[in-house]
Amino acid sequence: MLEVERIRVSYGAAPAISGVSIRVGAGELVCVVGPNGAGKTTLINAIAGLHSIEAGALRLDGRDLSRLPRHAFCGEGIAIVPEGRRLFAGMSVRENLELGSYRRAARARRAGSLDRVCEVFPILRERLEQPAGTLSGGQQQMLAIGRALMAQPRLLLLDEPSLGLAPAVVLAVFDVIKEINAGGVAVLLVEQNAALALEIAARAYVLEEGRIAAEGRPEALLAHADIRRAYLG
Amino acid sequence: MRGRALAGFAAAGLGLSAVPFFGPPAFYESFLYLVFHWIVLAVSWNILSGYSGYFSFGHGAFFGAGMYTTATLATKAGVPFLWTLPLAALVAAAFGIALGALVFRLPRLRGELFALLTLAVTFVLATIVLNTPIDGGPGLYLSAVPLLAIGPSPSSTFYLLGLALALATLWIAREIQRSKLGTGLFAIHDDEDVAEVLGVPTYRYKLAAFGVSCGLAGVAGGIQAMFISYVTVGETFSIAVPLNVVLMSVLGGSRHWFGPAVGAAAVTALLYAFTAGDYAVAGHAAVGLILIIVILFLPEGIFGELIGALKRRRVPATPAIDAAGLPAPAAAGPGKSEGPALLEARGLSKAFRGVQALAGVDLEVRRGEILGLVGPNGSGKSTLINVVSGHFRPDSGRILFEGRDLAALEAHRIARTGIARTYQIPRPFAHLSVLENVALPAMFGRDAQARPDAEREARRWLAFTGLAAKAMSLPGELNLHQRKFLELARALASRPGLLLLDEVFSGLTHAEIDDAIRLIREIRARGATIVFVEHVIRAVMELTDRIVVLSYGRVIAEGDPRVVMREPDVVAAYLGKPRA
Amino acid sequence: MALPSLTLLGQSLLSGLFIGALYGLLGLGLSLSWGMLRQINLAHFALAFLGAYLTYQLAGAGMDPLATLAVVMPCFFALGVLMHWLLARFSVSAFNSLLVSFGFTAIIEALIQWIWTADFRRMESAYGEVKFRVGALYVALPELLTLAMAVALSLLVWAWLRHTYTGKAMRAIAEDAPMAAAFGVDVRGLSLLLSGLSAAFAGVAGLCLALSYTLAPGQIYAWLGVVFAAVMLGGLGNPLGPLVAGIVIGVSEALTMAFTAPAWAPLVSFSLLIVVLLARPGRI
Repeated sequence: MLEVERIRVSYGAAPAISGVSIRVGAGELVCVVGPNGAGKTTLINAIAGLHSIEAGALRLDGRDLSRLPRHAFCGEGIAIVPEGRRLFAGMSVRENLELGSYRRAARARRAGSLDRVCEVFPILRERLEQPAGTLSGGQQQMLAIGRALMAQPRLLLLDEPSLGLAPAVVLAVFDVIKEINAGGVAVLLVEQNAALALEIAARAYVLEEGRIAAEGRPEALLAHADIRRAYLG
Repeated sequence: MRGRALAGFAAAGLGLSAVPFFGPPAFYESFLYLVFHWIVLAVSWNILSGYSGYFSFGHGAFFGAGMYTTATLATKAGVPFLWTLPLAALVAAAFGIALGALVFRLPRLRGELFALLTLAVTFVLATIVLNTPIDGGPGLYLSAVPLLAIGPSPSSTFYLLGLALALATLWIAREIQRSKLGTGLFAIHDDEDVAEVLGVPTYRYKLAAFGVSCGLAGVAGGIQAMFISYVTVGETFSIAVPLNVVLMSVLGGSRHWFGPAVGAAAVTALLYAFTAGDYAVAGHAAVGLILIIVILFLPEGIFGELIGALKRRRVPATPAIDAAGLPAPAAAGPGKSEGPALLEARGLSKAFRGVQALAGVDLEVRRGEILGLVGPNGSGKSTLINVVSGHFRPDSGRILFEGRDLAALEAHRIARTGIARTYQIPRPFAHLSVLENVALPAMFGRDAQARPDAEREARRWLAFTGLAAKAMSLPGELNLHQRKFLELARALASRPGLLLLDEVFSGLTHAEIDDAIRLIREIRARGATIVFVEHVIRAVMELTDRIVVLSYGRVIAEGDPRVVMREPDVVAAYLGKPRA
Repeated sequence: MALPSLTLLGQSLLSGLFIGALYGLLGLGLSLSWGMLRQINLAHFALAFLGAYLTYQLAGAGMDPLATLAVVMPCFFALGVLMHWLLARFSVSAFNSLLVSFGFTAIIEALIQWIWTADFRRMESAYGEVKFRVGALYVALPELLTLAMAVALSLLVWAWLRHTYTGKAMRAIAEDAPMAAAFGVDVRGLSLLLSGLSAAFAGVAGLCLALSYTLAPGQIYAWLGVVFAAVMLGGLGNPLGPLVAGIVIGVSEALTMAFTAPAWAPLVSFSLLIVVLLARPGRI
């Protein structure tokens, strides 16, 4: 469904990632792991349309995305849960969720989506009118995921959802991600916490210094020395 | 160099002063007086606003203060006109320093807020002057005040006074730009926080620049009071002065002492031409249009772009540098890891908006060692560096460096104690050359060297890091690898006892990493103690004597790198714990 | 210092209320573009005066002053869009937008002076004659209209931002524009819309100026400080802020004038501005 072919993205003069190719099939849960500084956020921002691609191709169901304006990516069915959540802190939980379904196709089904999101994250229903900035870290992560779900995405992108969260909360978040994927949404998960990510993924890539160092089934990667070497030397 | 400039100024001064004696029409002399008048106002404004980036919209207040000082003293106290001028300077400068003393203490009052505040001050002062006996409403007449005949006619006298003040102002602006104060101001313009951490006393410098700027404006006001001989609040404190000086400096180029003079001459001539042709109104429109065009297309101003183009053409000769002649970064201590503790952190804590970045860190850095600081993303490594180097104050805990508690010191004093750091994303001063970037810490650090010595030292460090050929380039022209080495050279130039490196290796190629490792080994060989935060594990393994692992703001392991990185706790911190 | 009578005090308070409403109206567009688009538009004041002069001109040609809005508002909307487009095209920073808009101000002021000269202009209209009596106090219709328009526009914008999806999208843009775009919000289009609206509001403020005041080109800067004070006190981007803050300032000024001399009035607003800047700098 998603085809990323040999893309290169730079910040200023130096390329942050180059020659990166990954695939996500419909309904698959794929993760990209790697140490800090490998380029994971750059990769996922490029796929979400938040950063422009210098070389290579980005295709969704065969359609070339690289020429679309930023705000059209969501219309294609891609929704992102960015690093650090990036909620609209001054707006209420409800408004954040409503903005998630801003795109035309999702607007009509807004009420239903809101109900479903509150089922998945009951804590949000209690705090619908509160400003998003007053929620705890874990709750904010739930809200960020909820916001993305409101867009009725076919492909959900998650950038380091475990960052800044207590271990118990991280487990809960990963459970939710598995559930979402079970509902038929393709997921591309970028994560530093390799162990948890590999547990839930069907396929994985290891990103190191801006390039794909390894790819395959999680069990294979874990057994291999590759991952350990990438992170720990 | 200075001798030549002095000669140039003297020649210009002599040449121009001779003009009145050739009997030109009074109208020409008055026009030239106005040109000199605006040169003084624009160049003096630029000393604070152009050099440091604190754009003030209140120059009119200080100009007005000087004007009213002269007018009041001359008419009500009978003080001879020329004696009122130094008093006008003092009054205006005093106002400026009083305002600055309050405003510069507030770190978030920069940019547009500072501009608006200074504008508001102008209107407040105007209202006070209007409503108190200083003016009271009708204005002040100076036509009865005697004018010392310096030139053959009254207009000649003003011409000469204006000329003298303009030359003095230009000289002062030039001297400041080339002095330590000027370098500090330009650094503040590019990155005030980094400048402070490198040892620039930002508060004092801004205050000094503001005082000089206001004082000069005050004198210009005093002379102008006599020139127009009828002083009113409306004319004096109008929006014309602040807006015109901004325009003239931006047009001419605000990063150079001469730029505003070019702008002042151009705009005055332009407005005069329009007024003479009865198109005064169109003149203002033209001026507005020019301002827009300059901001959009010529960000450095006319003179600035010219200078920039000339600099790029010149290829300066780089003198042969002996890298072996480099001084040791600090007094060489005993061998690695055996020495006493150079730095001790006890119970350091720091929280940001509810996130506990450091949760009670205890750490020791021994003299002469290379200590690696590692840990997963969000573990607090960068925060620790920021706290030790003075960027942030810790919420609790102590930092003892050579026995002294750093937590109590202001940021720019920490640099003087002998600690230097690099930034994860290099933060060079974008508008200073590579050489100036490296010379700055040498000028403001522990040893506080004079500029020529500092530049020599800087050249040595540039040679050491392989950047000698780029000394005259701007940081923007360097690639990432070179910019990281620039950071390194800059940190080394202050001859620190303790060097903190924040992710020096990230983003570098294999060959570049080898280069950097070699360099760091050599720095340690000269006796420096190094702490570095790093993700590139290869560098950590090859370089460090000891590593400390942080996770969630706490130290979870320390010791020999090869052993520590295999410990189950550490592996779990990095890779995460699987559920089972 | 003689204490003013109750009637005088009442009248002062009323006039403070009305002038405060005008501050609020003038400040609305400025606050929106500064708070949401990070552009400080000094030219807002010049635009308001241009609107005032246009109203004066059209009214002089026989049009009902209120009807002139049908001409002025669309034209100014287009002007606002154009100005924002220019600033966005050249990626002008917040501070430089202050300087560029100053350039626009000079141009507009020159235009005004060229067409209408520096002579004082006073619009004669039927509205100007009407006065109402409320107890011992008098209320002039133009001032009442100003208050009504200020309240109406502020409430409309507030409702737009709070209850419509485009309004919420606008608030999201102010918080985190790239994230808003990631969820499908057309950042560029909405920004242009907001700029156009701000400029159109300047036109409305111009109408109110023309109704109640004598016009002269030099007057443009007289309102600058006080309106900036109202905008900052009210909180950038808050649609009700300039109105409330403006009324507070207006009433304070009126009371100052009642108890001391009128010439002290400017001190109030600028001192308030200075205090606000010193006490709550940053994003206010």
